[in-house]
Amino acid sequence: MALLEIKNLHVALEDGTPIVKGVDLTVNTNEKHAIMGPNGSGKSTLAYALMGHPSYEITEGEILLDGTDVAELGADERAQRGLFLAFQYPHAIPGVTVTSFLRSAINAKRKAANGGEDDPIAVKQFRIDVLAAMEHLKVPRELAQRYLNDGFSGGEKKRVEILQMAMLKPRIAVLDETDSGLDIDALRVVANGVNELVGPEMGAIVITHYQRILNYILPDYVHVFVDGRIVASGGAELAQKLEAEGYEAFIPAGVGGESA
Amino acid sequence: MSRAELIERYQAIPLPTKSEEHWRFTDLTGFDPDSYTAAGDAPASLAATMLEIDASGMAAVGEAGITIEHAPEGIRFELLTDEHPLLGTLVGHSEKFAAHNAAMWEHGLLVHVPKGAVVEKPIYIRVTNAIEGGSLFWRLLIVAEAQSEFTVIEEYASASAELSGYSNAVVEIIVEEGARVEYVSVQNLSQSTWHFASHHATVGRDAELDWVAGGFGSGGGKVWIQNDLAGQGATSRVTGAYFVDNEQKLDYDTFQEHIAPNTTSDFAFKGVLRDTASAVWRGMIRVEKGAQKTNAYQENRNLLLSKTAHADSIPGLEILANDVRCTHGATLSQVDREQLFYAMARGLSRQEAERLIVRGFFQDVLDRIDLEPVRTALAAALEARIPQA
Repeated sequence: MALLEIKNLHVALEDGTPIVKGVDLTVNTNEKHAIMGPNGSGKSTLAYALMGHPSYEITEGEILLDGTDVAELGADERAQRGLFLAFQYPHAIPGVTVTSFLRSAINAKRKAANGGEDDPIAVKQFRIDVLAAMEHLKVPRELAQRYLNDGFSGGEKKRVEILQMAMLKPRIAVLDETDSGLDIDALRVVANGVNELVGPEMGAIVITHYQRILNYILPDYVHVFVDGRIVASGGAELAQKLEAEGYEAFIPAGVGGESA
Repeated sequence: MSRAELIERYQAIPLPTKSEEHWRFTDLTGFDPDSYTAAGDAPASLAATMLEIDASGMAAVGEAGITIEHAPEGIRFELLTDEHPLLGTLVGHSEKFAAHNAAMWEHGLLVHVPKGAVVEKPIYIRVTNAIEGGSLFWRLLIVAEAQSEFTVIEEYASASAELSGYSNAVVEIIVEEGARVEYVSVQNLSQSTWHFASHHATVGRDAELDWVAGGFGSGGGKVWIQNDLAGQGATSRVTGAYFVDNEQKLDYDTFQEHIAPNTTSDFAFKGVLRDTASAVWRGMIRVEKGAQKTNAYQENRNLLLSKTAHADSIPGLEILANDVRCTHGATLSQVDREQLFYAMARGLSRQEAERLIVRGFFQDVLDRIDLEPVRTALAAALEARIPQA
């Protein structure tokens, strides 16, 4: 059974406008998939719909996680089953520190795994884990006691997204434009984090506009995403081709889009 | 004025209506303060406390009287009498509910801390409405002599969550030169109780008053909070935190009165509202002619958890001096849907996510509280009030 199987997925906005128009994609552990597409192609909508954002309606199709359709579940239940979204624009929660948020998230996951009964992580263990992960991902210590994403720089936000991913140990991670707003050092740290986590326990989908991040996260598969559909799939070499030739060749006649 | 005269005085003042500026958002239609019984034997059961306090002095107040359970050494912690010369010097009887209290109060306490005395642990007073359909007129006078330091914590509660009642409180606080007083007033009455209170303090030269107001209970009413910065270099800080739901209506009317130069006042009220609850906050800063170099600040921030909750903020400034610094701010916000989604995408249920956001919202008001046991107690009280997941 595939870890994540997206079948004929259609997603519309609240006003009914179709954005994702029939996506099929299978992702397994140990696999890194890149979804590349021009701005406005619906990549981020796909990411949000996979995670269960209430503004996007799944009008058709299935999202099978370990064989179970999660398309009707809330974002919380999807996360508890191992889906993770690294946000393009992580939200601030003033008054809640990074560590306090992380502990709440871990405990929510542990509660779900324990049949709905509280099973909080021991304070000492949490402290050890979080300090180790921060050190490893080069997240400055002082960020731990700051309020989540409140006044963080772009780089700090993205590092903290990867920190959350490392702590929550998802099965499928979707990274939405994680490279945007990152300098090279931060990009390297973030990419290393993803590279280390993808393995027998996790697969990843890297959504990006530019090829740059794929120099650091070498994808096993590259999918070209245009106008709500995957229009071509291939290996890492496809990303090079896109970088050289642009999306033009993949845009069907009569379809709008930024580069059309 | 004799009690008989005071009763006449009270009766002569009509019940405020929405046509009066200060009552514009608080409707007293259907409320008859005289329909509540003024006395009776309180049942033995007292309300469960929201606070866990290690106190130096403790008193329980009810309709039937006051029990002083223990009193701190070296201070006066005793029953208040009509004859006390300072009684009524801050809260008079020109306002309807203050007049009602002046006419009717029977049980009051005096906290009088002599010059230079420092009371380490807080003095804790619990005021409990326990009689169905009963009224409780509570009166507190605090006198902090020069250089004294202490904390008074006052908690209002009902013996049961269903109890219907009328609570009327008057608190007068006199902070003399160089004294440091922390006053904490937590109101957790039943939602079928009307609560009216006039809290008025005067702060002397180089004295400091640090005040915390917690509003969690009652159905309707009004709380007046006035601080007079009466001596040079006086400072007062008022931190308000409230959480209301169902059909609760809270009304805070605050007044920062700068009389002396070089004085500072800092009022910050933050509230969370859900269901069809509503809150009014009206804040006035007045800087008198002689109060140069005044520093005054006021803010009110509300977070709405439902579309039907409602909050009004009415800040005000009246500045008669020319060398002052006054700032104010008010915000009203909804729990952000994107914030909720972000937290849920990490596995928190909707309720857990909402709790987290609410906790975060109150964090900065908790951060304003210096005294660790008070901060912990108020955090626990808030935590108890935030709906469980």
